[in-house]
Amino acid sequence: MKKSKKVKFNVNEIKKVTRRRFISTAGLVASTAVTAPAILRSGLAYASGRPVKLGYISPKTGPLAPFAEADDFVIAGIRSAFKDGIKIGSQIHPIEIFVKDTQSNPNRCAEVASELILKNKVDILMGAGTPDTTNPLSDQAEINEVPCITSDAPWQPYFFGRGGNPAKGFDWTYHFFWGLEDVIAVFLNLWNSLDTNKVVGALWPNDADGNAWGDKKLGFPPVLASKGFKLIDTGRYQQLNNDFSAQISAFKKANVEIVSGVMIPPDFTTFWTQAAQQGFKPKAVTVGKALLFPAAIEALGDRGTGLSSEVWWTPSHPFRSSLTGDSAGQLSAAYEKNTGKQWTQPIGFRHALFEVAANVLGRTKDVNSPKSIVQAIADTKLDTIVGRVHWGGKPVKNVSKTPLVGGQWVRGSKHKYDLQVVNNKTATNIPVKGVMKPI
Amino acid sequence: MINSSRYWVQRSTATSRLGAVLGIMLLAVLISVPYWGGRAEMRLLVEVFYILALAQLWNLLAGYGGLVSVGQQAFLGFGGYMLFVFSIHVGVGAVWTIPLAGILGALISLPVAFLVFRLRGHYFAIGTWVVAEVFMLIFAQIIALGGGSGASLPVSVVRSIASSRSVREATIYWVALAVVVAVIVVIYLLLRSRHGLALTAIRDSEEASRSLGVDNFRAKLMVYIFAAFGTAAIGALIFLTKLRISPAAAFDINWTTTVIFIVVIGGIGTIEGPIIGTIIYFLLREPLADYGSWYLILLGSTAVLIMLKAPQGIWGLISERFELRFFPVQRQLRWTVNDD
Repeated sequence: MKKSKKVKFNVNEIKKVTRRRFISTAGLVASTAVTAPAILRSGLAYASGRPVKLGYISPKTGPLAPFAEADDFVIAGIRSAFKDGIKIGSQIHPIEIFVKDTQSNPNRCAEVASELILKNKVDILMGAGTPDTTNPLSDQAEINEVPCITSDAPWQPYFFGRGGNPAKGFDWTYHFFWGLEDVIAVFLNLWNSLDTNKVVGALWPNDADGNAWGDKKLGFPPVLASKGFKLIDTGRYQQLNNDFSAQISAFKKANVEIVSGVMIPPDFTTFWTQAAQQGFKPKAVTVGKALLFPAAIEALGDRGTGLSSEVWWTPSHPFRSSLTGDSAGQLSAAYEKNTGKQWTQPIGFRHALFEVAANVLGRTKDVNSPKSIVQAIADTKLDTIVGRVHWGGKPVKNVSKTPLVGGQWVRGSKHKYDLQVVNNKTATNIPVKGVMKPI
Repeated sequence: MINSSRYWVQRSTATSRLGAVLGIMLLAVLISVPYWGGRAEMRLLVEVFYILALAQLWNLLAGYGGLVSVGQQAFLGFGGYMLFVFSIHVGVGAVWTIPLAGILGALISLPVAFLVFRLRGHYFAIGTWVVAEVFMLIFAQIIALGGGSGASLPVSVVRSIASSRSVREATIYWVALAVVVAVIVVIYLLLRSRHGLALTAIRDSEEASRSLGVDNFRAKLMVYIFAAFGTAAIGALIFLTKLRISPAAAFDINWTTTVIFIVVIGGIGTIEGPIIGTIIYFLLREPLADYGSWYLILLGSTAVLIMLKAPQGIWGLISERFELRFFPVQRQLRWTVNDD
């Protein structure tokens, strides 16, 4: 696997490098705040150090696979960006990246995490793709005292789901993403831009995300009540449910016009099909997780248009990579050209993980001391392709927040369906492309 | 023995005596691993040990007791949760929760057995799976254990095993080794005993064994409870190494399918089979797991191929061809003709 990958990268490398050289010679980089970082330039004057190892874990197979769809592309790009090594202190260190698949299974995730730590002896452990990925691997890093950076899971399930204590935090594990307070604000903004009766029907499953979103103190219920919404919560359903009739009839009875939840795609498809069969027609359906990926919307056909969701990253986000200087638009265009697939939100976050790792290593005083690496992580202040990553103690020591806006699926021109940003009250620097419309 | 009788029943073979010597030597080497082995190798061996122990227990159930359960993850997950209950909420030392989980697993298997034993054949298999799903749904409702979200084992609980990391890892390693050795020895002794004879008879034909006066129900119940005891204890051990539990992880059917794969390709109804199967499983997994879907396709095709071409498994082929038996549980009749 490793060998065959390397062969592939050579092809990519040629493309990538010429483009990067072009960009820097054309002086395009100068127009942005970020210049190609000095740590990536190889200098003849530097001695070469030992290889620095990065471990990366994601759900490449199984039900969570869409979250890792862009991994091969992103890692190929990162490998070519790292090909000259990274300067740490006075030495240039070659970078090795080890990639592991969780099979969407938290047990396997813990197993590969400990393999990367103990066998491959990685210097930094990374991972992304729902709490089922971030939590088991972070737990292994914490007990084995290995610096760890994760992303792509709301921070409350990540932090409180691991038994985190806000006063103390964790020593070795850091995370960047948005939180429940952001998704609540975004959803409320979307709903307030429509004319509805403010009755919300909730579909929250009995899993890490569903329990956090539906939490009576930290989740949606208290905020909905204070903002004048009426909540119809039918209780936590078990995942891979095949009958939502009870929920649908409760929603119909209460005259629900807004449906919300955090569902996996198969559950949402079941719900939305049965809603059509049973004549339930809400004005807004704003659901987390299920509506992130174009493939899920295409599976719904035209009933997918008008559905709305949280948006963490798009090609029009006004950010650039600190590694390659590429804009969000350039990175997703390269993905579409390279794979022939439509862009997805995780692309930016996967890329940003490696941006942070490179930046951390560049500031690490002693690469042989995990404590020194983790100190460099804690000191991070970096503008990445997903926004600023800075662990400044808010909301908790180990979490840095990235912006979140609201989007709606519409018929596309280039692609079958497009995710359009329709509300940016929570992050006004992200451009709006349309207005929220009732279904 | 030699001249006292013209006929005798032979229990041990030349290979089994050689095997015993080799086995003791191997055990000595395995015990010494923490003094010279790397952390990664120890960690892998711990996994090999608990998977092998699970495979031996399932083999006892299905290969001897005729109880084809696809719901052993019920006891595994139950044991895993007992680790969290007793180490976090009661304050029992993490290692002591392992036998405790075993005992509680055995107790809970009694009512389960009376339920699923009413079902036969395929219905039994499906019934055990349903029980495992019910266990999962119940544990998903217990908020104190994290509900559907799951819970992490606090670092302090793990540190309480031993303050130094190397002592802690060695302790877990030795516990895992002790568990797998105990499981194999108990199963071996059980099968060589009177009860083993009854189980072998049940394996070959339930009706015939009943007609010979074997109490099928009692023999099966004994095996079922023992398997539940072992599986629950191993569950506590497993989640002590995983550090995190959730209903989906604890009651994952993959625990049982992995073990079925191992027993089927190794050779069902023998003690050697699960050992061979475990070795093959890890030999396939270690270099190939990074291939994602292709690895899973390969595992599946291996199982299909062996089921079609060698239904008695790889050990079945070997022992038939070379008459090898490292764990002889059968009785062979021998006689001498030059007796004076």
